[in-house]
Amino acid sequence: MASDLAGTADKTLAHEMGLDEAAIERRRRLVGLGPEDSKRIATIRDAITQRAEEYAALFFNYLAEVDEARDFMRNRELVEQARRLKIEHLTAMVSGHYGAEYALQRLRLARLYSRAGLEERVFMAAFHHLLRAIGTAAVRAAPEPELGIEAFFSLQKVAFLDLGLMVDVMVAERERLITRQQEAIRELTTPVLQIRDRLLMLPIIGMIDTHRARLLTENLLHAIRANRAKVVVMDVTGVLAVDTKVANHLLQTVAAARLMGAKVIVTGLSADVSQTLVNLGVDLVGLQTIGDLQGGIEEAERLIGYEVFLRDARPNGVAAPLRSL
Amino acid sequence: MSVPILRHGNVLIASIQVAQTDDDLLKLRDRLSEMVGQNRAKGVVIDVTAFDVLDSFATRTLRDIAYGSRLRGARTVVVGIQPDVAFAMVQLGLDLGAVSTALDLDDAVAELSRPPSEVGRR
Repeated sequence: MASDLAGTADKTLAHEMGLDEAAIERRRRLVGLGPEDSKRIATIRDAITQRAEEYAALFFNYLAEVDEARDFMRNRELVEQARRLKIEHLTAMVSGHYGAEYALQRLRLARLYSRAGLEERVFMAAFHHLLRAIGTAAVRAAPEPELGIEAFFSLQKVAFLDLGLMVDVMVAERERLITRQQEAIRELTTPVLQIRDRLLMLPIIGMIDTHRARLLTENLLHAIRANRAKVVVMDVTGVLAVDTKVANHLLQTVAAARLMGAKVIVTGLSADVSQTLVNLGVDLVGLQTIGDLQGGIEEAERLIGYEVFLRDARPNGVAAPLRSL
Repeated sequence: MSVPILRHGNVLIASIQVAQTDDDLLKLRDRLSEMVGQNRAKGVVIDVTAFDVLDSFATRTLRDIAYGSRLRGARTVVVGIQPDVAFAMVQLGLDLGAVSTALDLDDAVAELSRPPSEVGRR
């Protein structure tokens, strides 16, 4: 069942990468791999298949020795799986058939590497190590050294076809990871918090796009009504990038809140962000901004009519002596 | 149906309960303008809680009422714009200009009872 699922994931990825027969054919042509090569490779087939396990061991022994692959090698289960796939790979490499099934096998192994966090350059070093051993064996196995070298060059085309696939998969997987993370950031909820009667706070963290700005505004407007808010402190300390679009979203939120009778104070515009806004020529007039969240809350309290004092410093005319805390 | 206009001290309260045609709104504008003078009102509160939508004409009429009343010595506060209405107005680029807004009648009356010098500092 699990392998079925994994198979489906491989096929999905192949589809996403546009790896159909035609694309694989283009890739084969790119490295110059043709029927001639299959014939030459056939001459060294037995030498490789018989010792496939040995060569696979060579690949993983190399990885075991480099620091960069330490995390990867620690995951016994995945390494064992990779070893099996590697043997399968070596057998397939000399099979003479390099179509969709072959590409799918490469995808499976590449996905496993990227899941296990094996980096491309480390993988390539190990693969080169493996190829050298195979090349030596090919030359020895051939009736004449020249023929062995010819066969090895053909095999090398297959190897580069593999590398192309492997690297593409690893990059695609990484891009997928980044996309997933971006989605996670975007889906961070934006809570509206009541910090005093009639005073709300709206901390915004992460990226603001149209969809999120809309949700955020709706949340805020409903919270204003539910809490009978008079002032809202909108803190954008956690918004690292502000452009014209984001600024417009913020302005719209502020305008909508104002229509409901609530005043919005924006806090936490960093030096960088404010510089960007000035350079962009975004007009924030009509927006009350205060440097930091504390200042914003103090101003909001003043507007509503709160006065906050330290317990020992009530303004009863008698100044309390300053005590070190 | 014409909108009832109530007098509370020196504040006029117009509570719009049913959907208004453009004509109704214009009539309301004229009546309010007249009553501000008759009653020597200092404030006007327009309650739009029942509105599902405020289009550009309604927005402009509200603005006109506010400017007109100010010329006759009364401040205007619009109350009860619903969240969805506010959002739609912003999306459409509609703006009440310098007209004060408040969440409910309490806030509107409190806003009007503040000395004029403080207006705008809120």
